[in-house]
Amino acid sequence: MKIAFELNGIKQEIDYLPDRRVVDLLREELGYTGTKEACGSGECGACTILVDGVSKLSCLMLAAQLQGRSITTIEGMSPGKKLHPIQQAFVDKGAVQCGFCSPGMLMATVDLLQRNPAPDRQQIRAALSGNLCRCTGYQKIIDAVESAAAEMRDKL
Amino acid sequence: MTTYASPIGSSLKRVDGPGKISGLEKYAADYYPDNFLWAGAKRSDHPHALIKEIDISPVRNLPGIFAVLTHEDIKGANRVGVPEMDQPVLADRKVRYKGDPVVLVLAENKTVLQEAIDKIVIKYEPLPAVFDPEAALAENAPLLHENRNDKNLLLGGRVVRGNSIAAMSECDAVAEADFQLPWQEHAYLETEAGVARVDEEGILAIIASTQTPWRDRNELAYALGWPLDKIRVIAPYLGGGFGGKDGITVQGLLGLAALHSGGRPVKMWNSREESFLSSTKRHPGRVHYELGCKKDGTLYAMNCRIVLDTGAYASLGGPVLALAMEHAAGVYRIPHALIEGFSVYTNNPVGGAFRGFGAPQVLAGLEQMMDILADKIAWDPLAFRLKNAVMRGDETGAGVWMSNSTAIIPCLEKLQEHPLWTSRQAWVSQAPPFKLRGVGIAAGLQGTGYGPMVADIANAKIELLPDGRFRIYSGVADMGQGNNPTNVQIAAEVLGQTADCFELIQPDTLQTLPSGSSAASRTTYSYGNALKAAALQLKERILTRACNMGMGLYAEDFLLSSGRLNHLPSGREIPLGLVAASMRPEERVSIYSYTAPVNRYPDKINPDIRAAGFPHRVFAFACHLARVQIDELTGEVEISDYLAATDAGKVLNPQLYEQQVQGGAVQGMGYALWEDFKLDRGELMTRNLATYILPTSMDVPDILSIAVESVEESGPFGMKGIGEIVINLALPAIANGIARAVGQHIFKSPLTAEQLLLILEKRAAE
Amino acid sequence: MSQVFLPHTLEELWTIKQENPAALIMAGGTDLLVKIRDRKLPPAVILALENIAELRQIERQDGEICIGSMVTHQQLLDSPIIQTQLPVLHQAVAVLGSPPIRHMGTIGGNICTASPAGDTLPPLYVLNAGLELKNAATSRLLPIQDFIQGPGQTLLGSNEILYKIRISIPAPHSQGFYFKVGQRKALAIAICSMASLLQFAEDKRILEGRFAWGSTGPTVMRFPEVENTLIGEKLSPIILGRLGQSMAALVSPISDVRASAEYRRLLASKLPLKIWQSLI
Repeated sequence: MKIAFELNGIKQEIDYLPDRRVVDLLREELGYTGTKEACGSGECGACTILVDGVSKLSCLMLAAQLQGRSITTIEGMSPGKKLHPIQQAFVDKGAVQCGFCSPGMLMATVDLLQRNPAPDRQQIRAALSGNLCRCTGYQKIIDAVESAAAEMRDKL
Repeated sequence: MTTYASPIGSSLKRVDGPGKISGLEKYAADYYPDNFLWAGAKRSDHPHALIKEIDISPVRNLPGIFAVLTHEDIKGANRVGVPEMDQPVLADRKVRYKGDPVVLVLAENKTVLQEAIDKIVIKYEPLPAVFDPEAALAENAPLLHENRNDKNLLLGGRVVRGNSIAAMSECDAVAEADFQLPWQEHAYLETEAGVARVDEEGILAIIASTQTPWRDRNELAYALGWPLDKIRVIAPYLGGGFGGKDGITVQGLLGLAALHSGGRPVKMWNSREESFLSSTKRHPGRVHYELGCKKDGTLYAMNCRIVLDTGAYASLGGPVLALAMEHAAGVYRIPHALIEGFSVYTNNPVGGAFRGFGAPQVLAGLEQMMDILADKIAWDPLAFRLKNAVMRGDETGAGVWMSNSTAIIPCLEKLQEHPLWTSRQAWVSQAPPFKLRGVGIAAGLQGTGYGPMVADIANAKIELLPDGRFRIYSGVADMGQGNNPTNVQIAAEVLGQTADCFELIQPDTLQTLPSGSSAASRTTYSYGNALKAAALQLKERILTRACNMGMGLYAEDFLLSSGRLNHLPSGREIPLGLVAASMRPEERVSIYSYTAPVNRYPDKINPDIRAAGFPHRVFAFACHLARVQIDELTGEVEISDYLAATDAGKVLNPQLYEQQVQGGAVQGMGYALWEDFKLDRGELMTRNLATYILPTSMDVPDILSIAVESVEESGPFGMKGIGEIVINLALPAIANGIARAVGQHIFKSPLTAEQLLLILEKRAAE
Repeated sequence: MSQVFLPHTLEELWTIKQENPAALIMAGGTDLLVKIRDRKLPPAVILALENIAELRQIERQDGEICIGSMVTHQQLLDSPIIQTQLPVLHQAVAVLGSPPIRHMGTIGGNICTASPAGDTLPPLYVLNAGLELKNAATSRLLPIQDFIQGPGQTLLGSNEILYKIRISIPAPHSQGFYFKVGQRKALAIAICSMASLLQFAEDKRILEGRFAWGSTGPTVMRFPEVENTLIGEKLSPIILGRLGQSMAALVSPISDVRASAEYRRLLASKLPLKIWQSLI
């Protein structure tokens, strides 16, 4: 099936199996391995991407569903050389350990800060509650999101 | 000249951050080589059975199937494991747990791979199975491994100090309890993964998510019958490990697949379900304690019996038991003690290494015993711990000599003066309606390194590159804890460089040097010591060469800074590239081999237990506090506040240190409250992340960390390992808090809401 | 390989359905694709409804709120109408799954999955929601408790889809509550849940009390005979405790990997007191 969509701002038209998962399309077909898979059933958030700006799970989406959509993966978060302020905050605040949850966490954070530019810690915890992390205990991730939000507000 | 602050002690940003957060860092799971084949295993659905027939005819000619392999295709010993090599790559005569791999399939895609795995028929003759370690010790229990003298006992032994039986009767107060500890799944986010290929020269190269590239190579050579010098193992950054990748996971199957793939690369990546089914877990166990003290608060006698279920294969079940026994008396002086330990084979999943390595199980029991006993003599639980805690030079009740830095007392004192402790009564009394509150503490320790009988050696290698930058060849895998970024910090300190002057090579048996496992709280301790010395040696060479080149008279007149050498008397700046150009390649490489000190005393320990790692020499210490609030209507527990005071020596990087404290505490909270791994006669009930409950960001609090910085003179810059001590105390601290809230101790963990509500209801009815 | 259809209009949908009678309807995919992965459903032609705009509307018509079956949980959460008029439903979607699950999963999907643990179901039961089912020719309206027959079983016809959920706006002086006990605070499947809609008189006496229980039987359950005992009473821990006791005797929970029947029954008896806990 021919599927036309936008990936990180670039138009794609590919011939792919419509019933394969989006995470497979990204990783196996297109080589975008920044999007991780860690459960395959919507329980961990590692495969989170943005579909038309909204965080969704690429392990529970079929390739055909991308038709006409615009998606962003972690590779598209900072198109230039400079890191996105959220990414920078993750590095600065020590939010990354093994890093396997990080792409999904970052996608979830983009979604959160679009909805709520000034979340408190509890709201951040709620917004990231679909993304499991086994290394950090979440605290420094929350610190990073809090700091990125402040930084991004200052720039407005 | 750049101004320059010392990196050690600063929160230098991890150099792995940018690659990881931009999605560009390649983990083992991220490799999709050209023209690769998928490999996957058909696994046993019997807990214990003889293999009568393997019928692969239904799939042999299935389009898309490249090869179907059984144990008959293995040229080597078909056994992996350390120290006991008892686990087949592919089961041969029989299967020993539900999940044992029997057939390996190589296929063009995942769909046909699964189809083939479904269609292969294996005929079994079921054998009686045993799922309880006590039952497995019985005289006529079914045998997992038939030819062992000790039958199902993998390792057993005792530690005897004084006469605890007689001493117990001399105690003024005695408490006794039997604790049940569950399996814990590592649940690293990156499930077991890797790619492998045999090249034209016959080199079998494996890129795998592994904590042990060097050991893997040895095991693979033995199991697969492939020459050691023709095996290369590469360990990129891991997506988590926690002990679960301490040893072979998919590497045996991958290696076998690559030897039968006609030179094509092969890839394996376990689904979460297969990971749960096939991976090792924290040993479940029963720990029985009898603890007695005098009425002046002095601990006097302890009896402890530890039974661990090591499952179908040995894995690290022996060493885990030895460490459980070594940590069984915690941080206390107890003159009379008897510690008995049994690590037992059953037809359950394999117990293996998991952060804490036996210590969490025993400290869960002991630290609840301390509270129970303190209550019996009406002592404050913290004062009771202070009264009995070891100082440097003491021996613990297990007979372990505290020869090195020992700051448990300062940790306890930090807690004692903290508002979360001093204001606890007010906090408890302000519980809202339908809520119960309690505050619990726990103290403990964790040994560093491999113990007395396995040399803990790290071989560091650092190179001055022709352009004046440096390359560090990290010998120990980084499973996420940041030991390899910390290598940059250590070298930067010694060489006066900034972080951007370094590049890092991840462990690779071809390029880096054998430096042991990423385990045992020893990664930065051992490799850091080696690297510090290697870097120092390289620095001296650079300075000496500058003098050789006539740039100055004395080495001490030079200062190394980012990318250059400053000659202080003249103010001249010399680019490091210039010095590098005058050095031969072998001069630019510095290697140093470091061997960690061991505790040779006491040698009266049972030799089997000693061989398995008892005792250690360097220990980290900690004391944790948990404020818990229980909902009387649901039994749900909320951890309102959490404090960890830790002595892991000098802090090299406060941010990485806190990462360990916070992450370890939360993993411990999971062990305490939610992670209830369930099996029914060897069959997994919690088979994925929907039913095995990990804490989310909503379930855990922020954690306060206090670093009590003793100076460990054997550690690089005074540090000790922080990786494991952090997980050991959440369960007992929370359990003690819950006991104070509910009015009774609960001996079976995890302390689920269900258990709590049923207990509250029963107490209300009484 | 299976085909995946994503019609943009109902007309297209009916044609596809006619040509592919065995097609599985996907209304978000957060349950369906997990079931296919777990091999509880065979791979089949998939018919996804997400592009049909008229199924994605939340409308208020006179005293009624109409929710299209493909309205996502997040849309419900963001909707001022739902927040102000149907707070019991709003509270339930706030604790459903996780943010990405709420961005994908839909109310229609939650209903047709018909799990007794479905978070939107107890609120819809106490709201006496009506379900508008549609096929190419006609539509029919069924009360939700008639539509759902058992775990995973509904009266959805093979040629039908769930079109809209119709809910009468609760009377003034009504208060809605949703309480859920899961194994953790997010990404949790209900071990026991309870929705309640209480309508009060001027003197704070209860005019009508409705209670629905999740995860305590093959379907969400209501017990009108027990609900009626509240009429004329004022809220108190004693009344609520008594109500819980009566309910607990009527529910029929099972034991599974998440919880024992005993715990679920005990929770059923305690959850009414959560109302009191939340008010004080």
